[in-house]
Amino acid sequence: MKSEYFKIAIKNLTKRRLRSWLTMLGIFISIATIFTLISLSLGLQGAVKAQFDLLGADKFFIMPKSMNLGGPGSGSGGFMLTEKDVETVEKTSGIKDSTYYVIGNTKTEFQGEIKYLQAVGIPPDKMKIFVETGSWKVRDGRFPKQGDKLVAFLGADFNKENVIFKKAANVGDKISINGKSFKVIGIAEPIGNPSDDSNILIPLEEFRIVTNISERIDMIMLQAQEGENVTEVSQKVEKELRRARGLTEKTQDFTISTPEELLKSIQNILGIITAFLAGIAGISLLVGAVGIANTMYTSVLERTREIGVMKAIGAKNSDIAWIFLIESGLLGLVGGIIGVVLGYGLSKTIEYIAVNQLNTTLLQVATPFYLIFGCLFFGFAVGAISGVLPAIQASKTKIVDALRYE
Amino acid sequence: MKKEHFTLAFSNLKRRKLRSWLTILGIFIGIAAVVSLISLGDGLRTAIMGQFGSLSVDKLTIQNKGTGFGPPGSTVVEKLNDKDLKAIESVTGVKLAIPRMIRITGIEYNKILDFGYVVDLPSDSKGMDMVYSSFNAETEEGRLLKVGDRKKVLIGYDVANSKDFDKRINVGSKIKINGQDFEVIGIIKKSSSFQINIVYLIPKEDLEQVLGIKNEYDLIVAEVEDKDKIQEVSEAIKTELRNLRNLKEGEDDFTVETPLQTLASVNTILNIINIVIAGIAGISLVVGGIGIANTMYTSILERRKEIGIMKSIGAKNSDIAWIFLIESGLLGLVGGIIGALMGLSLAFLGAQLANHALGQSLFKVSISYGLVLGSIFFSFAIGTLSGVLPAIQASKTNVVDALRS
Repeated sequence: MKSEYFKIAIKNLTKRRLRSWLTMLGIFISIATIFTLISLSLGLQGAVKAQFDLLGADKFFIMPKSMNLGGPGSGSGGFMLTEKDVETVEKTSGIKDSTYYVIGNTKTEFQGEIKYLQAVGIPPDKMKIFVETGSWKVRDGRFPKQGDKLVAFLGADFNKENVIFKKAANVGDKISINGKSFKVIGIAEPIGNPSDDSNILIPLEEFRIVTNISERIDMIMLQAQEGENVTEVSQKVEKELRRARGLTEKTQDFTISTPEELLKSIQNILGIITAFLAGIAGISLLVGAVGIANTMYTSVLERTREIGVMKAIGAKNSDIAWIFLIESGLLGLVGGIIGVVLGYGLSKTIEYIAVNQLNTTLLQVATPFYLIFGCLFFGFAVGAISGVLPAIQASKTKIVDALRYE
Repeated sequence: MKKEHFTLAFSNLKRRKLRSWLTILGIFIGIAAVVSLISLGDGLRTAIMGQFGSLSVDKLTIQNKGTGFGPPGSTVVEKLNDKDLKAIESVTGVKLAIPRMIRITGIEYNKILDFGYVVDLPSDSKGMDMVYSSFNAETEEGRLLKVGDRKKVLIGYDVANSKDFDKRINVGSKIKINGQDFEVIGIIKKSSSFQINIVYLIPKEDLEQVLGIKNEYDLIVAEVEDKDKIQEVSEAIKTELRNLRNLKEGEDDFTVETPLQTLASVNTILNIINIVIAGIAGISLVVGGIGIANTMYTSILERRKEIGIMKSIGAKNSDIAWIFLIESGLLGLVGGIIGALMGLSLAFLGAQLANHALGQSLFKVSISYGLVLGSIFFSFAIGTLSGVLPAIQASKTNVVDALRS
């Protein structure tokens, strides 16, 4: 490939400026869309993974199996986990620490406004893992501790106006939960997703009184000892709990999951959604490619005479083909570059909206190298491939016919 | 606009056959994508809506307000009770009110434990008929539950054929519901509503006894005497419940909804999904439109001399503009027609594949004439719009310059 090829190709593109721009416009709109979709999806996956990383690789969870069908506590009958089960699993070798919580439905009233919200009951003497796994941080006040009476620790969204309640709640305020008045003892730092930031944490004992949930536990969180293999420990716990509850593998009524498994299933779903949307966005790229092919065919037609002259003074078929291929490849490449820049701007805008309007930091822009180069290469490849047929046609032009062409 | 304008536009398009086809290709790929995705989306919505059973226009659903998503009544602070039921029954215009319970509990069969939705069946014949008629209950095998049956269960089609128990559940089999033995009395015919297919129906008293509950309901269904007055009855029930619970208007801790209202939010979500997907696919139409504009600009450039000649023998600016506009409009129109046809075929094919993959026949795509005509018109409009600027440019061609070129 000679540098003259590039010169000729660039000259031709600049000669038909409007047409080149319109052709590239088609490509870069498509690339920008695809870039935005994938970038936000990767960002979302990254943010989800970051939240899971905070859980720590040494932790795992036990839930009642009925939670596969409904929310926490939707299962009826004798299939719930209780504090007795916590005792059982705590004693299993390889377990360093444990905690558990219960989720209940509450009628919450603040400054005369009523909302139906879920509250979480936690044992105040076992806050450590809960705080670690939920990446909870105190912004104002403090966490509940042993001996606290009628206190509530609120997610960050309570501290904002018009998010949950019209008025913002602060440390020291009173909030009524199922008819009982609780003192706000602390406000959390924002975690980034609305479901966590709207949590109400209440010490378990009072939680059980106001929600009338006497024994049930919705989730047990366990931490494995350092140096232990989490999977092995979780299997041991599973066996132990099965034995204590008098169950077999087939009648097991609880599920154990490690963060890794949860993360994998979430990422799988996100991956499928992204692939689907990017695929649909890809249709526009196809249309853009047809546009490139069209421009190139037109270009071949217009320059029949020029091709003839080049051939007459010694240009080989391959020379002609190269010039046209480079031209179409350049259209795709430049389209790709503009598309990436535009897509980046678009995704940043969406991220800004998500942070400021939707109160979530989950939707982030991720711009890994491979995405940028992938998009550029893809744009280039689309251009080059769309140019193949026109280039072949150009290279096959017969000199005599071409020179005679008008 | 004259007839000749069309003739000229046609012959121009035919002269550059390859280019015209490629331009049309760009448009029809876009239209085909949009049409097929919208059709599939509609089919999906119909399929999902079908899940909610036959929509009876004469029934109201009363629930206490809950905190989130989940089976009805599962996220409420307090369950509905007999007092609520009595209050609702007392409202004039209410023909029949029945309490319903939908609970998740453990089911054991073949020594395997799984969890399922256990739903109660009223023990009186009126209530029973109302539930049966709400989903046109018919059995595949065995019989329906009758008044006076105890410790018998009627199971959904998918429950019977579930692989979770390693063995099919047959009529006459014994299954354990929350540890207590029940005899399978019948299997319900496969329904288009998955909720019916995955349900275990047992007599109300049995459900209360098995789960040790009494006087707590997940929802109350009220049948009205006159379906035209359903809105008024709904308001009357609200007033009655407010009185019962000492609430002012606006403090409602319950909802009274017609089945259509219950579906409204699902419908909204599905609509948003459809719009997002169609919107992303629609980007390809923009790209296709740009392709048309490009083709038209190229065409003007090539035909400068021709335009000059036409003008010099008396063609007005508007004549030139019309010819180009018709040309671009035609590109869009033909693209739209082919695209709509392709899109529909794709949608049918997609639905077939989906049904085949799921082993169901829920997914039905129907031809929506509005969609077909709308998309053809849309495509025509895109073609015309993309042609406006080129057409104006063409009409402004300077005769002298054009003839000299």
